[in-house]
Amino acid sequence: MSDEEIQNPKSKIQNPGDFFELTNEPIDVGKVARRIVPSESGATVTLDGYVRQWTKGKETLYLIYEAYEPMALKEMGRLIETAHARFEIAHVGIVHRLGKLEIGETSVVISVSAPHRKAAFEACGWLIKELKRTVPIWKKEVYAGGEVWIEGENHGANVN
Amino acid sequence: MKVRVLFFGATAEAVGKREIEFSLAENTNASEARTEILEAFPNLKKYFGKSLLFAINQEYASGDEIINNGDELAIFTAVSGG
Repeated sequence: MSDEEIQNPKSKIQNPGDFFELTNEPIDVGKVARRIVPSESGATVTLDGYVRQWTKGKETLYLIYEAYEPMALKEMGRLIETAHARFEIAHVGIVHRLGKLEIGETSVVISVSAPHRKAAFEACGWLIKELKRTVPIWKKEVYAGGEVWIEGENHGANVN
Repeated sequence: MKVRVLFFGATAEAVGKREIEFSLAENTNASEARTEILEAFPNLKKYFGKSLLFAINQEYASGDEIINNGDELAIFTAVSGG
């Protein structure tokens, strides 16, 4: 990601120092992590989620990610606010890639800085679990013999 | 009244469109709207049924929200980002 793109995110920053974005460009993991390091922090935990080639013996050729962009950004912002309320953390940065991703390319980065590492680990784990449950982004897996839109865990509170 | 209905991923492929305009009676709630949309697009009902999620104006709906003219509705499968 270029500096220009970083300065022009597709999202509004709610807590200064936090950010959440969707991008069609490759994600520079280190750059995401370095954007959230205030002086009172002592540790940053970063998740680098990338495209897996083999799932239970089946080979993936590539993935396509699609988002309901405005709602995805709202939900990402909400997750960060909730993380601040639940964990002793300083800042959070989340960037999710969209479009076609090759094997090994980074699909999502979540970086959490905190005064102490324990809260950063816990918050990062909580954030990816919730992102996969509530943020409206979908992946299509393309195999040699076909393709399928993956369905995640069902969101608890919805219309029956 | 008229609303927009958006589809994504698997629901967009099942419907063959990413966005439609849909007519609803005044005071229709989320649950009723969902039923009407599934009736209008049998593939959605056939392939996904009760597992579909529903949003009104970019917020998850729980069922009794009243829909207004011009609202943006969305129907999609359980999310799978990450």
